[in-house]
Amino acid sequence: MRDSVRRRAGRKLLAAAATATLLAAATACGGGSSGAGGRTHLVYRTWDEQQKVGLEKVMKAFEAANPTIDVSVELLPYDQYWTKLTADVVAGTAPDVFWMQTTEFPDYVTKGVLADLTGDIKDTSVYNKTVVDAYTYQGKLYGVPKDMGDVALLYNKDLLAKAGVTMPDQLTWAPDGSGTFLPLLRKLTVDDRGRHPDDPGFDAKKVKTWGFASWNHYQTQWMNWMVSNGGQLIDKPFGKFAFNSPQDVAALQWGVDLSRKYHVSPPATETNPPTGQATEMFERGQVAIFPANNALLPYVKPAVKFPIGVAPMPAGPAGRAVNVNGLSEQVYAKSRHLAQAKTLARYLASPAAQKIMGDAGYVFPAIDSLSQGYVDYWKAQGIDVAPYVEERKGKTFNLPIVPGFSSAETDLNQTLNQVYLGALSPQKGADQAVKDANAKQK
Amino acid sequence: MKSRRGLTAYAFLLPSLLGVFAFLLLPVAIVAGVSLFHWELLDSPHFTGLANYRRLVHDGDVRHSLWVTVLYVLLTIPVQTVLAVVLALLLNQRMRGVKFFRALYVVPWMATPIAMGLVWSWIFDPANGALNRFLAVFGVDGPAWLNDTSFALPAVAAVQIWQYTGYNMLFFLAGLQGIPAELYDAAATDGASPLRQFVHITLPLLNPTMFFVLVTNVIGSFQVFDTLYVMTGGGPAGSTEVLNFRIFQTAFQQFDFGYASAMAMLLFALILLITLLQVRYFNRRTTYDIS
Repeated sequence: MRDSVRRRAGRKLLAAAATATLLAAATACGGGSSGAGGRTHLVYRTWDEQQKVGLEKVMKAFEAANPTIDVSVELLPYDQYWTKLTADVVAGTAPDVFWMQTTEFPDYVTKGVLADLTGDIKDTSVYNKTVVDAYTYQGKLYGVPKDMGDVALLYNKDLLAKAGVTMPDQLTWAPDGSGTFLPLLRKLTVDDRGRHPDDPGFDAKKVKTWGFASWNHYQTQWMNWMVSNGGQLIDKPFGKFAFNSPQDVAALQWGVDLSRKYHVSPPATETNPPTGQATEMFERGQVAIFPANNALLPYVKPAVKFPIGVAPMPAGPAGRAVNVNGLSEQVYAKSRHLAQAKTLARYLASPAAQKIMGDAGYVFPAIDSLSQGYVDYWKAQGIDVAPYVEERKGKTFNLPIVPGFSSAETDLNQTLNQVYLGALSPQKGADQAVKDANAKQK
Repeated sequence: MKSRRGLTAYAFLLPSLLGVFAFLLLPVAIVAGVSLFHWELLDSPHFTGLANYRRLVHDGDVRHSLWVTVLYVLLTIPVQTVLAVVLALLLNQRMRGVKFFRALYVVPWMATPIAMGLVWSWIFDPANGALNRFLAVFGVDGPAWLNDTSFALPAVAAVQIWQYTGYNMLFFLAGLQGIPAELYDAAATDGASPLRQFVHITLPLLNPTMFFVLVTNVIGSFQVFDTLYVMTGGGPAGSTEVLNFRIFQTAFQQFDFGYASAMAMLLFALILLITLLQVRYFNRRTTYDIS
C-alpha cells in the first residue's frame, strides 16, 4: 500500500516464504532484553529498507539522549511482515516497537496487543488529523503518528509539452464526463496516426500514448473518485464496508468509462493486478498522467527519462478528496520494557525525530509543520511536490478503517478487476465486493 | 550376523528418518490436529471437533477450488506426459546434436517458478506480449490471456507443461535406453510394425518410468502454487483459484488456521487416494526385471 511497485515485486518473491516464516516464528525472538549494567535493549521493526538508514540516525539521536537504552532496527520485508508479526504476537515475542498501517490497525487494536499512548502523546493537534483519526480507537490514541503519503497526479512534462498543453492549477471531473479533466486527457491520448479519441477514425487498439491510467488500484484510484463524488467507503470507523451507494457506483463507472468509453486510458487487460503494467507504462512514457502516492517517487524517479510534474487530483462534484495513508509506530502492549518502549515512542513523536526523516526526503512527517523539509529535498531532486502538501489542506480520507480489510483484499481486487474489464457492472461489482468484504469481518 | 547387518542399515537410515519425521510426518500430524480447532491466529485456539470438516462440505468456494484443481491436473498431466514420451523417442535416435537438444529441453525445469511466472506474464501480455504479437502476424487477434476466465487456467497450465516436459523426457529417455535391442530385433523378424512394437514392447517396458513420472507429476500438479500466484493471483474472477491457493489465502491472509488445515487435509487425502490408485494400477502391469 505504501508503494505499490515494491510491494508487488516483494510479494511475488516472498510469497513462497510465507509458510516457512510461520514455522520459523515459533523459535524466533522479537522482543528486546535487559543487558548488563542496567541497560535496556529495545527492538524496533520496520519493513522499509530505504527508511532503515534514516531510522538508524533517529535511533542514534535517541540513544545519545537516553544512554541506558539501546535500540536495534530490525528489517522484515513487507510480505513477511504481517504473517510474522501475527505469529510473534501469538508467541508473545513481538518487537517492542513496530510499524503499523491503517488497514491492519483495526485487526490488531481490537485484540488488545497495542499499547495505549494517549497519556504519552498529549498534544495531538500538531499531527495531521487524518493520521491521528486512523489510529484512534474508542477515543484513545494507539501508536505514534509517524508519517503520511497522499495521492496526487504525476505527469510526464515532455508529453504535455508535445501535446501543447499546460497543466492547469485546478482540474474538475464529474461522472457524466463534464469538467476540464476529460478534455485534457483527450488531447494527450494519441493513436499511431496522431488522432485523438474524439477524432473520426481514432483507433483505440493502436494508441501510442494514453492521457491517463485508470486502473484497479483502490488507494490511488477508485476510492478517491468515490469520496470526491460524495460517496463513502465504510459506514463508520470500525463499522461495515459500504462503498455501494449510488455516488460510489457512479464514481466506479467513471473509472471504468475512462478506459472503456472515453478511451483515454489503457484497457484493464493491460493494467489489472497482479500482472498489470500501469506504473511501468507511465515510466515508459506511454501514459501522460498517473495518480500516485508520494511514497512511489523514490522508485519512479530513477526509472524515468523525462521530467516529472506534480498536480493536485481533479475535484469531483463533492470537491477534491484524496487518500492520506498514514503510518504509525506501535508499542507492543506486552513488551517486557514497556516504560522504555514508551520513552522511545515519545521521542519518535517529537519534532526532532520526525525532522530527521522529513529533511532527508524519506517521508512527509506526520507533524504537518515539518512538510517543508521534504519539499525542499525533492525540489533539489528536480520535483516540486508542493501540490501534495496543498491537497492535504482540503478534504482527505483514510482507507477503510474496519477489521478484516486484509482478509477481504484478495477477493476485493478480483471483483474490481472484473468491473474494470467490463465483465461485471459497477453496481453488481460494488454490491458483491461489499457483501464479500463484510462477510470476512469477524 | 544378519541382525547386525540390519542394525547397521537402520543406523544409516536414521538421519533421513529423523528428517522425514521432523519435516514431513510431524507437520502433517500438527496440521491434522489444528484442523480440529477453531483458531484465528490472534485468538487462542479452541477445540471444535469436526466442525471445520462440516464447514468444508457446505463451502461452495472450496468445491469450486476442487474443480479448478482437478481441471488443472487434467490440463497438464496428459499433455506433458505424452509430449515427454514423444520427445524421448525423437531424442533416442542417433543424430547430430542430440546431446544439445536433450540439454536444451531440460533448461526450463531449472528456472525458478517465480522468475518464470514473471517472464510468462510478459509473454501473455495482451498488447505488448510476444504471444499476441506473434499471432498478429497471422492476423489473429489474441485474447487477454491472463484476464480472460476461459484462457487463464490453460495459460498457466501451458507454462507448467513447458517447464516439465523436458524434465520428464529425461526419465523416459533413460527408460527407453534400458529396453534391450534384441526385443525389437525379434519383433521385427516376426514382422511387427513399428507401431505394434511401440504398443507391445516400448510402452509396457516403460511402465516403471511411467509410474514414477505420473505419481510425482500428479502430486506436483495438485500442489501448484507459485507460478499461478505470480501470473494470476487466483483471478480472473476466481477462475484459477486452485485448492492450494485457497489454503494459502485462508491461512496467511485471513489467518483462519483451523479451517485452512482442514482444507490441507482434504488435499492431502485426495492426493493420497489418487496415488494409491496409481500404485494399484501399475503394480498389476509392471515388470521391473526384463533379463
